[in-house]
Amino acid sequence: MKLIKLKEVSKRYGQAAVLENVNLTIEEEEILGIIGKSGSGKTTLLNLIAGFVEATQGDVVYISKITGEEKNLSRNLHRVKKHIGFMPQHNSFYPKLTVKENLLHFGRLYNIEKETLHNNIKNLLTFTELYEQKDKLAAELSGGMQKRLDISCSLVHKPKILILDEPTADLDPVFQKEILQMLQQVNKQGITVVVASHNLDGIESICHKIAIVHNARVHTYGSLEEVRKPYLRDNFTITVKTGQDKQELIKKLRVLPVKKIIERDGSLVLQPEDMETTMKKLLQIINEDNLYLHDVDVRKPTLTEIFEDITVQK
Amino acid sequence: MSAIWFLIKKNITLLLRSKGSALTVIFAPLLIILILGLSYNTSSQFGLNIGVHSSSFTEDVTEFMDILKEEEFKIIKYESTLDECIEDIKNGFTHTCIEVPESFAIDGNTPKEITFYIDPSRINLVWMIQDTFKSKFDFKAQQVSEQLATDILGKLANAKEKVGAEKSKLDVVKEKNKAVSGSTESAKNTLTSVDLSVPTTTYDRSFLDNLSSEISEASQKIADAIEAIDETNLSAADKSSVNAILKDADEELDGAFMYINGTETNGTEIKGIPKLLGLMEQDLNDAKNKLTTAAGTISSTSSTLTSAAVSLGETVAAIDGVQAELSAVQTDIESQKVTDAGTIAVPLATKIEKVSAESTYLNYLFPPLLILVVMFSSLLLGTTLAMMEKNSPAFFRNFFVPIRKVTFIASTYLTNVILIVIQIAIILGISLFFLDDVAHLLPMTSLVLFITASVFTFMGMTIGYLLRSEETGVLTSISLGSLLLFVSGVILPIESISPLLRNITMFNPFVIAERLIREIFIFNSPFTVIWVDLAILLSYAIALFLIILILESLLHAHMVERFMKYHHKQLRQKVPKKNNE
Repeated sequence: MKLIKLKEVSKRYGQAAVLENVNLTIEEEEILGIIGKSGSGKTTLLNLIAGFVEATQGDVVYISKITGEEKNLSRNLHRVKKHIGFMPQHNSFYPKLTVKENLLHFGRLYNIEKETLHNNIKNLLTFTELYEQKDKLAAELSGGMQKRLDISCSLVHKPKILILDEPTADLDPVFQKEILQMLQQVNKQGITVVVASHNLDGIESICHKIAIVHNARVHTYGSLEEVRKPYLRDNFTITVKTGQDKQELIKKLRVLPVKKIIERDGSLVLQPEDMETTMKKLLQIINEDNLYLHDVDVRKPTLTEIFEDITVQK
Repeated sequence: MSAIWFLIKKNITLLLRSKGSALTVIFAPLLIILILGLSYNTSSQFGLNIGVHSSSFTEDVTEFMDILKEEEFKIIKYESTLDECIEDIKNGFTHTCIEVPESFAIDGNTPKEITFYIDPSRINLVWMIQDTFKSKFDFKAQQVSEQLATDILGKLANAKEKVGAEKSKLDVVKEKNKAVSGSTESAKNTLTSVDLSVPTTTYDRSFLDNLSSEISEASQKIADAIEAIDETNLSAADKSSVNAILKDADEELDGAFMYINGTETNGTEIKGIPKLLGLMEQDLNDAKNKLTTAAGTISSTSSTLTSAAVSLGETVAAIDGVQAELSAVQTDIESQKVTDAGTIAVPLATKIEKVSAESTYLNYLFPPLLILVVMFSSLLLGTTLAMMEKNSPAFFRNFFVPIRKVTFIASTYLTNVILIVIQIAIILGISLFFLDDVAHLLPMTSLVLFITASVFTFMGMTIGYLLRSEETGVLTSISLGSLLLFVSGVILPIESISPLLRNITMFNPFVIAERLIREIFIFNSPFTVIWVDLAILLSYAIALFLIILILESLLHAHMVERFMKYHHKQLRQKVPKKNNE
C-alpha cells in the first residue's frame, strides 16, 4: 500500500535547484534506499518525504489509511508527525542524559502512556542491545552505540515510517553492518524505512527499492532488479593470478574494446563494448601471457558499479 | 614571527565572519561606552525633582528657589503640607524635599535650619543631592553670613566714627580740665598765702574783777548808808557813821574809776580798761587788716574758681555728650543680636531627615542587590537554557516531535523560573536573619521578583534564540545586564543622565523592579501604590513572551530550510573540489 507520494516535486534554494521533477512513491513496509553524491539533494529529498521542508513545486502527499485520500504532507504535518521517525545525519539526542533518560524524554514528548513507553523502551533497549548501557550517559557511548541510541530515539514512539539520513556515516564496517541489520529488523516489524546513505553495498543488501539522485534529479528509481536491468550485459569480472604488475595487465587490456576497466578488491571489472569480442581477445591475452585465470564472472553489476557508471560517465 | 601574525589574522578573520561574535565582542563594548557616554556626558543634575515646603513662601523662600532653579532642577512647591512631599519621595516622583524657614534673616545666635528629607535607600542620590546642594547652601549661607558681617562691620564703623569724634571732644575737655586744674592750684596757693593768724595777746582782766568788786562794795556801802539814814534818828553819831560809810563808798568808787581811767590818782598808769581796750583795738586793727587782705585774695580766687567752674561746667557738658554718644554706640552694638561666631560663620544649618525608618545599609542596598541577582541570573540562565536547547544535538529531533513550540518556550521559561525561585527563596530566607521585621513583606516581594525574573528570563531567552554561539549569547546577556545596571541609578544616579535618555531609562525594567522592591521593602507601600509599575513589568513579560513566540515560530519555519540550504551549499562546494583532485 502506498504511503507517501512525491509528484513532480522541485525544490530550490534561491536560484539553486536542488531537486527537479522528482516522482517517487513510498510503499508500506518497504525499505527505500536513496543514494547520490554529496550535495546531490538526498537530505533535501528525505526532508521532503518527512514533510519538514515544503516543495517549491509539485506535491508531497501522504495517503490516508482510512479514506485513501491524498493529503499534503507538510500542511498536515502536525497530524502525521507521530507516525514519522526521523534520524538526522548527526546524532540527535542529549549527550548529558543517560540512554534511558533520552528515550524517556522523547517518548514522553510523543505523549505515550507511561506503561507503554516503558515497555517500548525495554524492547528497544533489548533490540538495540543497549540494555546494559541504559544508565550510561549518551556521551559515554561508542559511535556505534550512539547510532543505535539515535535509532532508538526515532523508534521510541513506534512510527510507521522511519527516515534515516546517513545512518552508517562515520562508523566502522562492523558497526555499519550492525546498523543495517537493525534496519532490516525494524522493517520486519512492519515499519517502512527510507534511508539515504553512501554505503552502497549496505543499501544494496537491505533495500527493496533504490532511488539514485544525480544532478538534482532522481536518475534511477525502482527495485534493485529494475535499477540493474539497463546494466546487466555490460559487465564482467575477471580474477587472474599473474606475476606481472597489475598495471601492466591493465595496459594490455586497454587495447580490448572496453568502455571502462575498474580495479576492485584484487579483481578487474571490465565493461566491454562488445561482450563476445572482448571475451575472445581476453582469453587470447591470458593464453599468450601464460596467465592463470582464476575466475571469470559475468555477473550482475553491483549498485556501486551502477552508481559509478551513472555519476562518473554522465 | 610570521606564524604568529598569520594566526592572529586567522583569528580576527574567524571572529569577524561569525557575525554574532563580532557584533558582541567588538561592537557591544563600543555600544555600551557610546550609550553610557551619551548618558552621562553631563555634569548637571538636571533630572532632580526638588520639593520645597515652607510655612510661607516669602521673598526669601522664592529667592532661594530661584537659586535652585539656576541648576535646572525641577522645583515643586508644596504649599499645603510637608507630608505630601514626603509621600512623593516614597513614590519616586520627588527626589528630595527641602523644608525652608520663611525667612533667612538671622535674629539670634541660633542658625536657621533647613531640613532635607531624603530617601536613604537611594544612597548615591543622597550623596549627589548633598553634594549638589552643598554649593547652593554654601552660597546662600555665604550671602546671609556676608549680610551679618556687613551689619556688624557697619556698626563697628559707625562706632569707630563716633568714638573718633568723641575722642576729640574729650581732648578739649582734657585741656580744659588741665586749665581748671592750674586755676585751682593757683587759687589754692593764693588761699594758702592768706594770713589768718590770730593775735596771741593775753588781756589782763583782773582789774576788771577788782573793779567789779569795788563797785559792788561801793554799791553795798551805799545801800548800807541809805539803810542807816533810814533807821537813824539822825543822831550825829549816826550821821557820822553814815558819812563814814558813804566815804568809804566813795573811796571805793574812786578806786573803780581808777581802773576805768587807767591811771591811779597819782597818775600812774595801771592796767585798766583803756589799756585793755587799746590792746584790743590794736588787735582788731591787725585783724581788720588781715581780713581786708584775705578778702582781696578771696575775691581774686573766687573769680579764678568761677572761671574754673565754667570750664568744669563745659567739660561736664562735653562728657555728657560723649556719654550720650557712647550710649548710642552701645545701643547700636547691642542691637547686633547675632554674637555667636559660629552662627555668623555658618548662619544656615542643614539637617537631613530620612523619610523611612532608620535602617542598616543592608536594608537600603537590599532592593538593588536583589534585583541585580535576579537580573543577571535570569538573563544568563535564560540565554544559557535557550542556547543549550538550540545548540543541543537533540534540537533537531525536538523539532520533529509533535509538541507545540510554545510548550518548549514555556518549559525553558519555567525551568529558569524554578531555578530563580529557589535562588530568591534562599536569598529571602537568608535576609530574614539580617533584616528585621520583613517577614510580612515577603509575599509581595516574591510576586515582584517572580515577575522581574520572568521579564529578564524572556530577555535572556530572546538573546538565546537570536544568537548562535553560547559564548556570544552569554557575553551579550552580560553586556545587556551591565547596560541596564549602568543606566539604572544603582551605580550612577539616573537623574544625572541626559533628559532624553533618562526618559527612556525610566522604562528600564531594572529601574522599575528596583523601585517596586524599594517601595515594598523600605516604605511598606501597599498594592494600590505599586500596581502601575507592577502592571508595566507584567506587560514587559507578556510582550517578550510574544516576541519569543513569534521569533521561535519564524526561526522554526525557516530553520530546516536554512539548514538544508546551508548544508546543500556546503556539500556542493565540496564536490567540484573532489572532482578537481
